[in-house]
Amino acid sequence: MQKSTPFLILLFLAVVASVLVCTVVGPAGIPYLGLAADESASIIIFSVRLPRVIAALLVGFGLAAAGVVMQGMFRNSMADPYLLGTSAGGALGASLAIIFLNGAFRWMLAFTGCIGATFLVYGISRQGGRMPVEQLLLTGIAVSMFLSAILSFLMYSAGKSLHQIFMWLMGGFWNISWTDVWIGLLIIPASLSLLLFSRELNIFSLGEEDAIHLGVDTELFKKMLLLVSSFITGLAVAIAGIIGFIGLITPHLMRLVVGPDHRVLLPASMMAGGILLVFSDTLARTVGNEVPVGVVTAFFGAPFFIFLLKRRYMR
Amino acid sequence: MIELRDVDLAYGARKVLEQISFQTGKGEFLGIIGPNGSGKTTLLKAISRIVTPSDGAILLDDLVLETLSPRELSRCIAVVPQAADSGFDFPVRDVVMMGRYPHIGRFGSEKDKDRDICRKAMETTGITHLADRSIREISGGELQRVIIARALAQEPRLLLLDEPTAHLDLGQQIGILQTMRELSRTIAVIGVFHDLNHAAHFCDRLILLHNYRILAMGEPAAVLTPDTIRTAFEIAVTVRKNPFTGHPFISPLPVPDDGAGGCGNVHVICGGGEGSALLQALHAGGYLVTTGVLAVNDTDYTTAAALGIPCISEPPFSPVTGRSLGELSLMLKDARAVVMTRGLWGPGNIGNLHFLESARVRGIVILDDRQEGEGAWDFTGGEAAAALSRLAADGAIIVRDIPSALAAVAAITREDPCRT
Repeated sequence: MQKSTPFLILLFLAVVASVLVCTVVGPAGIPYLGLAADESASIIIFSVRLPRVIAALLVGFGLAAAGVVMQGMFRNSMADPYLLGTSAGGALGASLAIIFLNGAFRWMLAFTGCIGATFLVYGISRQGGRMPVEQLLLTGIAVSMFLSAILSFLMYSAGKSLHQIFMWLMGGFWNISWTDVWIGLLIIPASLSLLLFSRELNIFSLGEEDAIHLGVDTELFKKMLLLVSSFITGLAVAIAGIIGFIGLITPHLMRLVVGPDHRVLLPASMMAGGILLVFSDTLARTVGNEVPVGVVTAFFGAPFFIFLLKRRYMR
Repeated sequence: MIELRDVDLAYGARKVLEQISFQTGKGEFLGIIGPNGSGKTTLLKAISRIVTPSDGAILLDDLVLETLSPRELSRCIAVVPQAADSGFDFPVRDVVMMGRYPHIGRFGSEKDKDRDICRKAMETTGITHLADRSIREISGGELQRVIIARALAQEPRLLLLDEPTAHLDLGQQIGILQTMRELSRTIAVIGVFHDLNHAAHFCDRLILLHNYRILAMGEPAAVLTPDTIRTAFEIAVTVRKNPFTGHPFISPLPVPDDGAGGCGNVHVICGGGEGSALLQALHAGGYLVTTGVLAVNDTDYTTAAALGIPCISEPPFSPVTGRSLGELSLMLKDARAVVMTRGLWGPGNIGNLHFLESARVRGIVILDDRQEGEGAWDFTGGEAAAALSRLAADGAIIVRDIPSALAAVAAITREDPCRT
């Protein structure tokens, strides 16, 4: 674990650097030196770019943390933060807000949809005080499909709101204000609280029954992780819509670099997820002409990930 | 230390075990055996609290198991499963350290003491050299040793083993069971076994489960009898004393083939263990086999006894007496065929050969499966060799292997068909 400390410090410096660099980059090129003199530049920096960059960072933190937890808990490398119906629930909530409330309370409804879906899955898969992981997984898929069906129906009958829903589904940071950032800050303590479970996550990755034998209160553990990670995902979805890829790939990426120990993997993935999303969003708003950020993360991230996988199997 | 009182176990409505009571403690290696589905693993799961008894109580040092927290429980009881799942590629050292989890608080971290305990656990199981390897790169036997080391790092007072050697080669099996045996001198060990001979060899006491209950419990020699094994596993076995260890040693017997069609009495003259396979083959072929004269310390005698074959016997190291020859003559009169192994001939058994010659028995088959130049076999100064060639000249059939012997016997008995 100690040998990973330099890498974590390096990642932290990269986080700081990416925030500074990406705040400067933009269609209206503003040099740091000119900042104090120019009032419009200061508005662009502090009211438009900085909140957007910080929000992307926080959402990246959260999605990666939730991804690590889901993959660890389900011992399945296909798991991501949206596994247990959170994305479908969030999308349904947001769509309802867009169609019926003209976009008002979209934030609240998206968050409620995420959390609600998780609770639904949790409630269904509990059997006599126990919640087998497999049951949870299958219930999650079923609930997702059900909510997606409702969502599809809404989109089919949405008329002119369809474009708005569609944009939201692909995720992005074009409408970010400081309020989003303040709310997003909750992601940090929530993600860090997951660190307290990192030892259990390590043990859990060797099998649930083994975890019981080693004294892990597995039911409590699953309940807590589910609660915290759906809270984090809910916040992320509420702020930026459904951004794929970050929560799925970042944990893999970091596992290749720092190994499977969650005490290192979790903070490393958080920071890497933040950096990835900040750069992706910067690309989206500059080169990409405000293309949804999810497009960028997948377009560049997936080939890079395939390259890493290939290299690992060649070794 | 651990005590079960009238424990009933069930999965939902399906009962698995009922009224299980036993106790064990430090210094004992207790083995649990029984056929598939007899509840061996479920019993272990009850002790490790994965399964809750539907009735009765399990006590750990007079405390009811349910009152302990998960951490408290895993500081007392450690489990080694059948086969470990390697999951993510953790280094061996980290996996063993996971055994310290119940001893380290949520906000605590690993201390030197924890590292010392892990180092000792790895030494005990002989995996120190693997400490930095990934658990995905090591062999199944090594992984099982890692899991055992992790269990030892828990510093348990009771170790539960669920067929810990099920997927390992023989060398690994014995190595691991030997380690478990040594451990059982300082802590209590309960293990589930499929291999009855391993159970007999390594355990101090055995519990045989059958039909929801404990069929037999006690020292291996008392539990592993042909009767109990027939009841529980529905097979016929012989139980002998392992000549090297004195533990019971179980071998399954071939099942007699009802449709084999052999009929009539066949007498076998053998000795020195050379006739055992022949006796079994004829017995399985459906013949009424008799044998003798054999010394009671002969392996062939033991085989005959296990198969229930009538046998004329003499005390060890004595010559064949007239009384035995009288019995032999009665048996030969009933026999449709006589099969004789070429054997080793000396003053102790040459009497059989002479008797066979003088009784002018018909239908003799001599099984001579020796290789050229295999060593001396005639210790009678040529007397036996001469007698054998006289028998051959008189029409005895000489065959080279057991299938040919069976064919020859079948041919003889066909000429002289059964009266039934």
